[in-house]
Amino acid sequence: MKKYKKLLASAGFSFGIMFGLSSGALAGQFDGVTLKVATWGGSWKANMEKIIVPKFEALGGKIEFVTGSPAANFAKLVAGRGRAPFDVMEVLDAQVGDFAQVDYLQPINLDLIPNKVNLQPFQYNETYVGSWNTQETICYNTEKFAELGLAAPKTYADLAAPALQDKVSLPDINSGAGLANFGGVIYAAGGDEQNIQPGLDLMKKINATKFWTRGGETKTQFESGDIYAAVVHAGWCTRAARAGSPVMTVHPEIKPGVKGLAKEGWLGIMKSSENVEAAHWFINEYLTTDFQYEYAINSGVFPLNQDAIEKMKTDEINAKLMELDSGAISSMLRLDYSKVDKTAWIDGWNKTLTTN
Amino acid sequence: MENRWFAYLIPPFIVTLLLVAGSQFVFIQNSFYQDLGLGRTGTDLTLVNYIKFFTDSFYLKTFWITIKVSAIAALLTLFLGFPIAYVVARMKSRLAMFLLAGIVVSTFVTIVIKVFGLIIIFSADGVINKTLLNLGLIERAYSIIGTQEGVVIGLMHFTIGFSVLLLYSVVVTVPPSLEYAAQIHGASRLRVYQRVIIPLCAPGFVVGGLMIFNMCMGAFTSAALLGGGRVLTLPVLVQRTVMMEVKYSTAASIAFVLLVSVILINLFSLIAIRRLRSARLVVA
Repeated sequence: MKKYKKLLASAGFSFGIMFGLSSGALAGQFDGVTLKVATWGGSWKANMEKIIVPKFEALGGKIEFVTGSPAANFAKLVAGRGRAPFDVMEVLDAQVGDFAQVDYLQPINLDLIPNKVNLQPFQYNETYVGSWNTQETICYNTEKFAELGLAAPKTYADLAAPALQDKVSLPDINSGAGLANFGGVIYAAGGDEQNIQPGLDLMKKINATKFWTRGGETKTQFESGDIYAAVVHAGWCTRAARAGSPVMTVHPEIKPGVKGLAKEGWLGIMKSSENVEAAHWFINEYLTTDFQYEYAINSGVFPLNQDAIEKMKTDEINAKLMELDSGAISSMLRLDYSKVDKTAWIDGWNKTLTTN
Repeated sequence: MENRWFAYLIPPFIVTLLLVAGSQFVFIQNSFYQDLGLGRTGTDLTLVNYIKFFTDSFYLKTFWITIKVSAIAALLTLFLGFPIAYVVARMKSRLAMFLLAGIVVSTFVTIVIKVFGLIIIFSADGVINKTLLNLGLIERAYSIIGTQEGVVIGLMHFTIGFSVLLLYSVVVTVPPSLEYAAQIHGASRLRVYQRVIIPLCAPGFVVGGLMIFNMCMGAFTSAALLGGGRVLTLPVLVQRTVMMEVKYSTAASIAFVLLVSVILINLFSLIAIRRLRSARLVVA
């Protein structure tokens, strides 16, 4: 009996050691890690919850989202003197200059981002990795334009037609797309980053019924008949089209040889982050074909992943409303934000276009 | 005994002071330093942010619009709210409590949802535009978004429930017997309103009007959503200055101007009304 007891005890001990070792070996790469990601809510967050979060959880970690626009998240960072309540953040091209002044991001180890092979070399550097593009377009209601006897718009100036007064929505300068599209209008009106007056004059002439702060507002306004045209990224137009609105996009003529406007999104890792490895893992997952394609379809952004771009061509609405030709995409206007005096732009905007 | 009860108030007073006044003090203190952008400030005390506010036509115009839309909304809300409050206060059935409960419950609905409801009602395909178009009263759908009228409607929508509750509590203090007495002595219904009800409710109107005005001056959501980026009020401007420009000192100075102006407007209104009443008493 004593012998059996000894045997049982030693077997139990060995099993315990083996179980302990094996569970250690099975333990996830990110056991106990909670990665905080600053991104938009809605479909943006939903895409990540659908594709990236389960993979991270399988590795033992947990992802929490701090939702808000990049501007709101940047304001949180400034208020916290750089102590970020998140590890990874979506950064807009217009914010890169601001981040350079405050030094809140840490260098990215590109060796930990193998999926960068899916991007073009100019889409990543030691501080940022590109996440998406948007194609900023004129989205218009084809039926209403036909009713009014208007031809499809070619550029922003066509939105100043008398029949469209109070029927156009433009991005507010306070929105994520504000500076980029205002820049597009300035260039199309013959100005540039230093000479914004022609753009302001054209904006005033268009006399928008509303300056939107979230692109989703335009989708609702198309559906309610409040607007017939909007300057908005193609993704919102594809969403309106998928919801049944008779809409079409136009990539506006901006200057000779330049048609269309592109805006870029980036990802950065916060200097205060203690989950650096997980943050790199997250960025790497962001660049997979699956995620980039899902993101593009659901949120309407344009992928950077080349395979995802190819896959986009198989979707009828994307093929119709988005520019899928790489040559045409590369010739779109991209603002040089280092030349933009944000204070002067906002002052000019406020004094000319608000508080009427 | 009274002193002991007073002691119980000290802890909540300290907590409130720390949470409200403390945070406000830090924010307002910032306004006296030059704004260097991105949350950075100069080191020397200065009034430069205030000088900019009071010398820049954009800020002054925004200030004026904030006062204008708030005052109009407050007056119209009182005008709309009083008859409802009066009828409910004079109801003898249980329906009165039911209606009051309905108003209280409606205040629990978040303002964003309420404003989106308004946007739908006033949209081009909405009930109001369709009715007006069908009646031939307008030729083209009218949009309230991006207009001062729209902001006023939004502010009224925001404060109407509160105003009814407030005015209800005023009307119930006026005994119905006074109205009956006036009517027995031959006063018409209109005369009863003019000589009995309105004079007795006047202090309530003043206090209620000022409270609604204060709420409107500080309202953000209605003004932001219905202003559509075209009509800016000071609270919207504070938000834009913090979020877009990350200029905390400038935003703090705008917020402080808003706070002081509200206090002063309330003070002057009360002084003016007191003088008016004493002048009337002298005349009488």
